[in-house]
Amino acid sequence: MKWNRKVKMVTVYLFTILFLVFLNFLLPRLLPGDAILAMYSGSEILVTDELYNELIKLHGLDRPLHEQFITYLTQLAHGDLGYSYMYHASTTDLILDALPWTILLICTSFILSAVVGIILGVESAWRRGGKIDRWLLTSMLLIDGIPSLVIGILFLTVFSLYFEWFPTAGAITPYSNAQGIAHISDVLMHLVLPLATLTLSQIPGDYLLIRNSMVLTIREPFILTARAKGLKDRKIRYCHAARNAILPFFTRIGVRIAFVITGVLFIETIFAYPGLGLLTYKAISNQDLPLIQAILTVSVLIVLLTNILVDIFYKKIDPRIEYAF
Amino acid sequence: MTNLKNTLIISLIIFSFILTPVICAAAENELRIADNTGDWGHPSPYLAYGRGPGYLRMHFIFDTLVWKDETSDLIPLLAEDWEYIPEEEVYIFNLVNNAKWHDGEPVTANDVAFTIAYMKEHPYGWVMLDSVDRAEAVDEHTVKIYMSGPYAPFMEDIGGTMPILPEHIWKDVVNPMDYVETGAFIGCGPFKYVDFSKEHGTYKYEAFDEYYLGKPNVDQLIYVKTGDTQMALQLGEADLASIKPEMAETFTEEGFVVIAGPHYWNKKLMINHNKEPLDSVVFRQALAYAIDQDEFVDKSLRGHGKPASHGLISSESQWANPDVLDYPYNPDKAKEMITSLGYELEDGVFTKNGKALKLEVLVSMIGTGGQSMPDRDGEILKNQLEKVGIQIELISLETKIVDQKVINWDFDLAISGHGGIGGDPKILYEKVIQVPGTKASPNTARYNKSEELNSLLDDLVHEMDPVKRQEAVFKAQNVYARELPAISLYYPTWYYAYNPDAGVEWFYTIGGVSKGIPIPQNKIALMRSNAQGEGGIEQTAMQTTDNAQDTPMMPFLGVFAILAAFFIKRSGRKP
Repeated sequence: MKWNRKVKMVTVYLFTILFLVFLNFLLPRLLPGDAILAMYSGSEILVTDELYNELIKLHGLDRPLHEQFITYLTQLAHGDLGYSYMYHASTTDLILDALPWTILLICTSFILSAVVGIILGVESAWRRGGKIDRWLLTSMLLIDGIPSLVIGILFLTVFSLYFEWFPTAGAITPYSNAQGIAHISDVLMHLVLPLATLTLSQIPGDYLLIRNSMVLTIREPFILTARAKGLKDRKIRYCHAARNAILPFFTRIGVRIAFVITGVLFIETIFAYPGLGLLTYKAISNQDLPLIQAILTVSVLIVLLTNILVDIFYKKIDPRIEYAF
Repeated sequence: MTNLKNTLIISLIIFSFILTPVICAAAENELRIADNTGDWGHPSPYLAYGRGPGYLRMHFIFDTLVWKDETSDLIPLLAEDWEYIPEEEVYIFNLVNNAKWHDGEPVTANDVAFTIAYMKEHPYGWVMLDSVDRAEAVDEHTVKIYMSGPYAPFMEDIGGTMPILPEHIWKDVVNPMDYVETGAFIGCGPFKYVDFSKEHGTYKYEAFDEYYLGKPNVDQLIYVKTGDTQMALQLGEADLASIKPEMAETFTEEGFVVIAGPHYWNKKLMINHNKEPLDSVVFRQALAYAIDQDEFVDKSLRGHGKPASHGLISSESQWANPDVLDYPYNPDKAKEMITSLGYELEDGVFTKNGKALKLEVLVSMIGTGGQSMPDRDGEILKNQLEKVGIQIELISLETKIVDQKVINWDFDLAISGHGGIGGDPKILYEKVIQVPGTKASPNTARYNKSEELNSLLDDLVHEMDPVKRQEAVFKAQNVYARELPAISLYYPTWYYAYNPDAGVEWFYTIGGVSKGIPIPQNKIALMRSNAQGEGGIEQTAMQTTDNAQDTPMMPFLGVFAILAAFFIKRSGRKP
């Protein structure tokens, strides 16, 4: 029975991946217009027939669609996500260059916002109706209403332009050639503002989720039991209530990761942070078909992988759910 | 046990910092230029993107035969002198004899002949070599370029645009679009390639000590990518960058030198002249009278620009006809002209055979100077044309779709734009007819209904006598303004600011750099000694080692180590 469930799950994921890969291949090709001519739209050079033919051949666009799809699948199986029109480079390399920066930004922000969101959510729910709860709830709803774009520009103006505490753009100071500790501190200094923006835009979501779930949990009879046992207040709050209240938070990670990837697009663009978001923005504005396709594939894989991980770890987090995987 | 944990924690944190090589420091003169796109392709002829900034990033490494500065004449670069022999239809170039490639090999006439042969075989977007038959090296420093017919724009179009490639490197390169080896960056220009990071959008060049015109006055030239160029200037992160027009005064007050761009880019209205009533010259002229160019400048550019000439060539170009036909704003005259075509004005709208005069206007995000911005001109145009009784339906679409619709003639009017109108007048030829052997461009009118215009455009390209050519160019502008295959609306003014303490006086090149790039980043500015003193550039102590563009593994390890340390500490508390 358990084995069957596993097979079923793997099959579902495999079909999802295949379907999305097919969509990734097809959708950019359904866009109207000639991709090669679009590349040169607005450029100062004349596209001669020879140049056009050479580019069409280079990108394999002269072959029928089904052949293009087979090539795409074969390349994908070899880890080759295609060749970018604009960058004259392998899209795999471009993504691998950008991905570590986005992972650094997203993971750090995920951890920070989770820690802050959980603590604030737990404390707020514990003091439900109190002054701190009301104040926290209002300010979190307020922050939630401000787009991350605005927070980013505000941070940039205040902390970079006015106080000159942090650099305005990029992930490192170009050609400062700092290494070791100096390099790390350079990277961290560049990370602070985008990280703060992303984290601040995520905290309210985490906070509200935890608070709501916590409010329901503290009414449960086992909390009363814990109190009756004479356990310390802090222990009840975090080891008994929060432990159970945190479950919806983990369920949501898989869904949220997709939103974070799109959210990071704006933040990376404002701070010119060389991650996946900025690469996506440039790929779309340059109508770079293979790159858009590759980024979509990678994003889909990241989202699915996160979901699989959540499914696997769900049992560890909540041992009651034996049938999770 | 606790001791072991503590040791582990400390070792983890130390481990993340342990790979700390000694930082070696060296003072260098460096100059930084910022923009917010960053990546414009590898700085090699075939790999740089086909837009102005891409060419500029390549032009520091590769030299052409001749060049332009802020005067209108061509100046010698690799060729110290040249002549055209009309009888033989041949150009003879004498090259400087002390030019070297960055790998130490001498630059010879063979390299020039090779470049022409190579680019004929592997088309290079910036240069069309149809007019060139072949090139031959006469001796080590003399090259003869045989033309397949007279071609007047040769000097600017080819001589001043075609980067010369080293034969000893490129002779073995079969696919130049894929060639990204070290050899792709060996040129004979004033700067040597040091680094390009696609990831960070940065470029680094180093002065070429053995440059034949002398060492540049900057040791290192760096392009950085930034989110906001103005902030980068104000914070000293860059010495040259574009600024918003409204900030020009502030920057001047802050001690920057602000240079206002020449008007070599025009916003224009594409017209489907194959469709009724737009196929009528009178109707197109009526449109020109109905358009108030000043309103565009005031509202769309907030005054930072000027109305465009109706003859396509920029009114600031040396080729501009000062008496070109003009259409001063006159809505009454426009109405009169439309009435003369059999339309009747009913309730403020023109009708013919019971059908209202209605046109569609396509608008999209439009790229100007390498940046995209939303197009607000559609609204202004709609108001102006509705005032004279033409109903307008504004359709906002993605750029690619607008381009495709224009190319397929599936439109009435479309708002578009392009540069290059300050350089060689060949632009008239390129933007009126579809140059044979090229793909249709969405900002080319593809208009061949006027025999007179066609013949003038032919003269403009093939007339080798400068006086006669000038005459043809003047006449062509007038005929263009009369026929109106498209209507130029306005020229935006672009502003750049530079830090004068950095020691380089930047300038806008007359006619634009090379084929007409309206960006003040001409390499000649870096070749001049200047008033700031011997060193030119302020000394900035920079730490120098190579390959600093790392992925964030070290800091990631740091963050990971700290988190792991906390986890270990925490797990130690459990019973």
